[in-house]
Amino acid sequence: MISFIFRRLLTLIPLLLGITALVFILMSLAPGDFLTPVKAQRDVPAELIESIQRDFGLDQPWYVQYFKWLGNLAQGNLGHSWAYKLPVADLIGQRVLATFLLSLVALTFSWCIAIPLGVLAAVYKDSIFDRISAGLAYAALSIPEFFLALLLVFFAAQTGWFPMGGATSIDYEYMSFGGQLADRAYHLILPGLALGIGSIASIMRIMRANFLDTIRAEFVTTARAKGVKEFVVMFKHVLRNAINPLVSAFGFAFSSLLSGALMVEIVLQYPGLGQLMYQSILREDQFVVLASVMLGCTMLVLGNLLADILLAWSDPRIRLEKKK
Amino acid sequence: MGSSSRGHQFNIGALLAGGLIVAFLGACSKKEVKERPEPVIAPIPVDAEVEDFPIGEFGATVIETTTGDIATLNPLVNESNSGSEVIGRILDSLITLDPNTGEVIPNLAKSWDISEDNLEYTFHLREGVHWSDGHPFTADDVIFTWNCFFAKKRNPETGEVILDENGKPEYRYNSRSTFSQQINGQEPKFEKLDDYTVRFTTPEVYAPFLLFGGGEEILPKHVLEAAYEDGTLMDQWSLDTAINEPWKIVGLNLFVLESYRPGERIVFAPNPNFWKVNTEGARLPYVQRVITKIVPDVNSSNVAFAQGLTDFETITPDNVAWVQRGEESHDYTVLDMGPANSTNFIWFNLRPGENADGVPYVAPHKFAWFSDKYFRQAISYGINREGIIKGVYFGRANVLNGYVSPKRKFWYNDAIRKFSYLPEKSRALFAEIGFEYRNGKLFDGAGNPVEFSIMTNAGNGLRVEMATVFKENMAALGIDVELQFLDFNTIVNKISDSFDYESCMLGLGGGAPDPFAGKDILMSGGRLHFWNPQQKEPATEWEARIDELMLEIGRNTDVEKRKADFFEVQAILAEQQAMLFLVSPTDYVGYRNRWQNIEPTPLGGVTWNQESLWAEVDE
Repeated sequence: MISFIFRRLLTLIPLLLGITALVFILMSLAPGDFLTPVKAQRDVPAELIESIQRDFGLDQPWYVQYFKWLGNLAQGNLGHSWAYKLPVADLIGQRVLATFLLSLVALTFSWCIAIPLGVLAAVYKDSIFDRISAGLAYAALSIPEFFLALLLVFFAAQTGWFPMGGATSIDYEYMSFGGQLADRAYHLILPGLALGIGSIASIMRIMRANFLDTIRAEFVTTARAKGVKEFVVMFKHVLRNAINPLVSAFGFAFSSLLSGALMVEIVLQYPGLGQLMYQSILREDQFVVLASVMLGCTMLVLGNLLADILLAWSDPRIRLEKKK
Repeated sequence: MGSSSRGHQFNIGALLAGGLIVAFLGACSKKEVKERPEPVIAPIPVDAEVEDFPIGEFGATVIETTTGDIATLNPLVNESNSGSEVIGRILDSLITLDPNTGEVIPNLAKSWDISEDNLEYTFHLREGVHWSDGHPFTADDVIFTWNCFFAKKRNPETGEVILDENGKPEYRYNSRSTFSQQINGQEPKFEKLDDYTVRFTTPEVYAPFLLFGGGEEILPKHVLEAAYEDGTLMDQWSLDTAINEPWKIVGLNLFVLESYRPGERIVFAPNPNFWKVNTEGARLPYVQRVITKIVPDVNSSNVAFAQGLTDFETITPDNVAWVQRGEESHDYTVLDMGPANSTNFIWFNLRPGENADGVPYVAPHKFAWFSDKYFRQAISYGINREGIIKGVYFGRANVLNGYVSPKRKFWYNDAIRKFSYLPEKSRALFAEIGFEYRNGKLFDGAGNPVEFSIMTNAGNGLRVEMATVFKENMAALGIDVELQFLDFNTIVNKISDSFDYESCMLGLGGGAPDPFAGKDILMSGGRLHFWNPQQKEPATEWEARIDELMLEIGRNTDVEKRKADFFEVQAILAEQQAMLFLVSPTDYVGYRNRWQNIEPTPLGGVTWNQESLWAEVDE
C-alpha cells in the first residue's frame, strides 16, 4: 500500500513539470505581460519599465524564465508575486482557509441532501417523488454555477434577506466570537447553495442508480425470502452496499476543494483563492498563476489517490495486490 | 462486510464534520494578534492648520467602496489606483493643491522660498507635527524619502557605485519616483538646513518641481530606515503588514490603517496626531472610522450607493439616471460636477517605415492619407460629437475640442480651431485633396477606396458604442470603417511595439495638473506619443515646434509665459488633428444628506475637506 501511494505521488512530478511548462508557454503566447497595463499609463518613466523588466526577467524567452523558476522551486521557493511583493505561499495562505471553508460547506450540504434524496428516489422508484426529483435534478445540473450565483445575488438584492457578497459584515471586527461565527455562517449560505446544488443532482442520481442495482442483487432476494421486513432490507442491507461507490466519488470531490469555487467566488465576491487566481491571471502575475495551477493539480492527484485508498479500504475485492 | 462499510460511513461523516468545524474556527479565530501598541498622543503642533468650518460633532463612521483590491501599501511599489487612494489617506506631502483654483498651496511645508535663479527651493516645515505613532516629523524624514528614491547599488567591497552599460548608476530601489524625479537625467540635490528646513537644488531650471517634487509622499525614517539599510525596503508595508500589524504603517495624513481583510474591506481610524484642528482647537478629523468595502467594479459600487449603503460616491454618467431616482427615498444628493478630466480620442497610425519582416506598418497609400492633415481634418468634421453625447452618454458628456479638458480652466485654450459636425465641409476638403465620390463611396486620387480599421478596447462599453457611432458617421461620408474590439493588452502592444494597426480609439484619465506631465504624450520622443511614439528626431515641423514649446514649458517658471506656450501647443494639435478629440464625460458625485460642512468643488469633489466633514451619530 505504501509503495502504491509512493508511486502515485511520484507521478505527480512529471505531471507538474508538464503542466507548469504549458502554463509558461501559454502565458508567453498571451498578448502582453505583467507590465503592459503599466506601459499605458502616462506618468511611468520608460527607464522604470526597463528596469522592472530586467528585474523580473521578462526580457528573456519563456524557457529561460521557466528554468529559473524551476531552480527556485527546487529550493522550495514558489517565487514572489509581482503585484503584491509577497511570497506566493504567504499570499495563498491568506486566502486558502476561506475557500476551504466554502467548499467544505458546499460539500457537506450537497452530500447530506443528495444521499437521502437518492435513496428515497430509488425506494419509491417511478413514483411521483422520483419523477419530480429527477426533473429537479436535471434542472439543477443544467444551470451553470455562475448563473445560479447571479440569480442568488439578484435574489439577495431584491429581498435583502441575505448579504450580496463577501464573507463577513462590515462590523465583523467589532462582534463577539459567537457573533463572528454566526456572521460567517450567514455569509456562507448563498455561495454554499450556489456551489452545492449542482453536485446534489449528480450525487443523487448516482446514489439512486447504485441503490437500484443493489436492490436487484441476490442477497436482497434472500433477505426478503427469509421474511426480513422491507424497511430493514432497504436501510440495513441495501443502503450499506449501495453507498460504497460513493466513497470513491467523495475522493474526487476532495480534489475540487480548493479550486472548484472560482466562478462562485467571483460572482459572489467571496474573498477566496478563486478570486486571487482570477485576478492573477488577468494581471499575468505569473508565479501566483503557476502556484494556483500546481495547487489545483496536486489536489486532483491527491483526491484520486484518496478515492483509491478509500475504495480499497471499504471493498476487500479491490485489494488484489497481496497475491505475490 | 456490513460492519466494515458502517465503519466507513461513520468515518466520512466524522471527517466532514471535523473538517468543517476546524475550518470554521480557523477562519474566525484571529491569528494570535500581536498587541496593537497604545497610541502615543503628541501635543497639538505649534504650526497646526486651523480649518475654518463650523464646529461639528465627533464620532461618525464613513462607509464607502473602492473598486478593486489593493496589492500593497508601499508607495514605492504601488501601481494601482485603489492602492494610491489608500496610501494617499495615510501618507502626506509637503504641498497640496487648492481644491478651488488648483494652485500649489502649503501642506506639511508651511511655506517655501524659491531662489532668484529659480534653482533652489527651500521648504519650511510645520513645527511640532508628529507621525501617527507619536514620533516627531522633521527634515530628516524628507531627506530619508528622497534618499530612498536615489539610493545607489554599491560594490560591497570597494563601496563604489555600480554603473550599468550606459554609464548610469544602478539604483537600489527602482521606483516610479527614482526616474520621474530626475530632471533631464540628473538628480536634484537635497539637503537638511535644520530640523525644519530642507533645500532642494534642481540641476537646471525646472518649472514643475514645486508641484512634482513637493508632491512626493513623505516616508517615516524611524520606521523604514532599518529596511532601507538591509535592502528590504520594497518588501515593507506589504499586505502581510496590513493584515497582521497595520499600526506599523505610520503616516502624517488624516487616517491610519486599522485593519485590512483581503478582498473584503479596509478599515481606517483617525490619525491620533493629525495636524489640523477646528476653530476651537480640537484635533480633526471628526469621523471616528472609515470602512471601505472592496468591490469588483464601478457598477457594484454605484449600486451600493443607490441602496443607501455608502456615504460618498463617484457616479459614472451611464449610471446617473437610475442612481438619481433614489435621492429622496434613500436621502442622498447627486451633484453634477461639470466635465471630467478624462478625455476620449481617435488617432491614425503615423508610423513610417516597415517592421522587421519588411512589411510596412501602414499600407503606403493609407499612410499617405493619414499623414495628410486635410484628410484628418476632413474626418474630424465628419464626426458627430453631439450625436455621441446624445446616443452614448444620454447627454451626460461634453464636446471635447482639444487636448485639455475644459475642467482645467486655467490651462484650457478655448480659442483653438474647432471641428463641429459639418459633413459638407469634409466632402469639400476631400475634394480639395483630390478624392472623389463614385456611387456614394469615397476614392482617393489613385482610385483606392477609402476604408480603414479602428480598434478600441472591448472591455470599455462606452468606447465600443462610440466606435460604432464613428463607423456610422464615416459610412455617411462614403468611408468603410472596420471595427476591431480587442483586449486592452493587445492594443497596448500594437500601439507601443508592433504598430500594426490603422487607427485607434482610447482615452486618458485624470492626469497631473501641470502641462509638463503630458510630455510623454506630446513630445515626439515620448513613450505615449500615440500616433508615432519614441521618434529619434521629430518627424514633422509641427512636432518639432511642440517639442520646443514643451521644453520651454518645463524650463520656464513664468506662469503667463508657460500658459501662452501651452496654448500654442493646444492650437497646433487642434490644427493638425493628430488626435481627434471626441467627448469628455460629465463627473457626478453623490453624498448622503446626513453629512455636514460639505462644500463641493470641481477639482476636489465632495471629500476634499474630509477632516471637517461630520454627521450626527446614530444612537
